[in-house]
Amino acid sequence: MAATALIINATWEHIVLVYTSLVVSILIALPLAFASLYSRRLALVVMNFANLVQAVPSFAVVAIVVPFLGIGFFPALIAIMLRALLPIIKNTYIGLTNIDPALLDYAHGIGLSEWQIHRFIRFPNAYPAMFAGIKFAAILTNSIAVLTAFIGSGGLGEIIFQGLIGYNTQKLLSGAIPAIILAVLIDFFFTILEKKITPEHLKND
Amino acid sequence: MPTKILFERIDSIELQGVSKKYGSRFAVESLDLTIEGGELLILIGPSGSGKTTTLRMINRMIEPDSGSILINGQNVMHLDPVRLRRNMGYVIQNIGLFPHMTIEENVGLVPKLEGWDQNRTTERVRYLLDFVSLPPDRFINRYPRQLSGGQQQRVGLARALAMDPPLLLMDEPFGALDPILRKQLQKEFLEIKKEIGRTIVFVTHDIEEAFRLGDRIAVMDNARLLQVGAPEDLIFEPVNELVADIVDTARKFKHMDTLNVKDLMTPLDTKYILEGDLDACHAVEVMKDRNTETCIVLDNGKLIGKLEMVNLLKCEEKNPLVRDIAKPMKVFALRDSVATALSEMKRSGEYMAMVMNGDTICGMLVSDEVLLKLI
Repeated sequence: MAATALIINATWEHIVLVYTSLVVSILIALPLAFASLYSRRLALVVMNFANLVQAVPSFAVVAIVVPFLGIGFFPALIAIMLRALLPIIKNTYIGLTNIDPALLDYAHGIGLSEWQIHRFIRFPNAYPAMFAGIKFAAILTNSIAVLTAFIGSGGLGEIIFQGLIGYNTQKLLSGAIPAIILAVLIDFFFTILEKKITPEHLKND
Repeated sequence: MPTKILFERIDSIELQGVSKKYGSRFAVESLDLTIEGGELLILIGPSGSGKTTTLRMINRMIEPDSGSILINGQNVMHLDPVRLRRNMGYVIQNIGLFPHMTIEENVGLVPKLEGWDQNRTTERVRYLLDFVSLPPDRFINRYPRQLSGGQQQRVGLARALAMDPPLLLMDEPFGALDPILRKQLQKEFLEIKKEIGRTIVFVTHDIEEAFRLGDRIAVMDNARLLQVGAPEDLIFEPVNELVADIVDTARKFKHMDTLNVKDLMTPLDTKYILEGDLDACHAVEVMKDRNTETCIVLDNGKLIGKLEMVNLLKCEEKNPLVRDIAKPMKVFALRDSVATALSEMKRSGEYMAMVMNGDTICGMLVSDEVLLKLI
C-alpha cells in the first residue's frame, strides 16, 4: 500500500513539474516570438540562444543549472524550460512570419490596422505551427522531467533512479511504466486537441 | 468602430507633380494626371513603368516623395491611411483572399470591423455574391481554396464592393486568369461597371483589356506618363513612338493602308432605316420602339441623310417630314481607304458614315466598330 501511495505521489509530482514547466515555457515563448517580429536583432538572439540550448545534451542542461541555482523543484523547472522554449518559440516565429506577403499587403490595402492584421491574419495563420511546437515541447518536457530527479525535482525519475542504483527491477518498472503511460497520454491528449484546433480550411473535405 | 465616410462620390482625383524614388531610380517621375469622377481610367505600360506605384500612391500604400494627390481637393497625405483605404475598394491580381476565412468572413471582414451586426453583414455578403454571379447558398460557407480562380476573383470584387465605396482601385485584377475566363470576366465587369457607376482606376498591361474597359487610357513608360486620352486618341494620334508601340499601332494597323472601307463596313440594319415621308412625331415613336438614337433616312431607296433623336425632339411642334430635316452625312465608296475614311470622320466629329457604290447603299461605317474589328 505504501508503495502504491509512493508511486501515485511521484506521478503527481511529475505531472505538476511537466505542466508547470510547459505553461511557463509557453508564457515566455509566445511573447518572445511575437516581439521578435518587431526586432530582427531580438529574433536573432532568441533563435540562436534557443538553438544553442537545443544542441547541448539534455542531461548537461540539467547539470549546468545546479552551480547557478542549486537543486530542487525550481532549478528543475528552469532546466526543463530551457529545453522546451525552443520548439515553441521557433514554431511560433515561423508561423507568424511564414505568411504570404500578398495577404499582408492586401490586408493593409483594405484598411486593416496593424493590430487587426495580427489578430485576424497573422495569429490564425500561425496556430497550426504554434500548436505543433507546443506538442513537441510537451513530449520533451515529460522526458526531461525524468532526468531532473537527479537534481531533486522528485517525481517518477526518482523512483527509476532508485531502482537503477539498487538493481531493483520492480522499483525501476514502477517508475518507468507510469512515465511511459504519461508520455502516451500526453501524445494522445495533444493529438485530440490538435484535431480540435486545426482550422477548417486545412482539414480534408 | 466605424470610420468616417470621407467622400460620398468622387469629383476628381488629382495627381500633381508626383514623384517616387527608390534609391536613385524613379518609380514615378513628376506625374500630373487628373482622374475625373465616374470614369474608368486605365493605367497601362510595361512592367516597371510605374503604373502600380501610381495606383498604390492613391491609397497611400506607397507614399510619394514629392507632389500631392488630392481626392475631391483633400490631400491624401493629410488623411488617416486606415480610414482612407476603407473608403475605397481594392482588388489585386493575387486576389488575396484570406485562406483561413470562409467566403462570408472574407467579404464581411471590413463591414464587421466597421461595427456592422451579423445580420446586416450576412445580408450584404449575400447581396454581393449574387451581384457577382455566385449563388450565395452554395458559396457563402466555402473556403477560398475550394473555389476556382475565376470564382475567387469574383469574390475579390465582391469584397472590394463590401462598403459600397465610390472609388475602386484595381491592380491587374484579371491578370492571372486564362484568356477565355479573362474575356468572360471583362464582359461581366463591363456590366457591373455600368450598374455601380463608380470611379475606377484600373492597372493593366494588356492593351486589349484597356481598349475594352477604359473610358480613358493613361500610358506610362519608365516612370513617366506619356499620354492620356480616349482609346482612339492613342491609336490615331500617339504622341510618340513609345505610345504607338504600346498601343501596338504598328502591328495592328499595318494593313490600314491596304484595307478598304468594304472590308470593315457593317451591313445596314433595317432598324436604322426611316422612310422620308414619315413625320417627326411618328419618327420619335418608331425610334423609341427600335431603341435607337440615330437613323438613316431613305426616300425610295435613295439616301437623304441621317437623323438624330435630339434633333427630332426639338421640332415636334411643326411636325415636318423627316426627309426635310435629315442632315447630310459622309459617304464613302467601297474602294476608299479605311485610314482616310476614319481620319475624315474623326475630323468632322462623326461616328458613322454610309458606304455606297454609285447610288446603291452597301452598308455603313461605324468608327467604334471598325476599331474593335482591328484590335
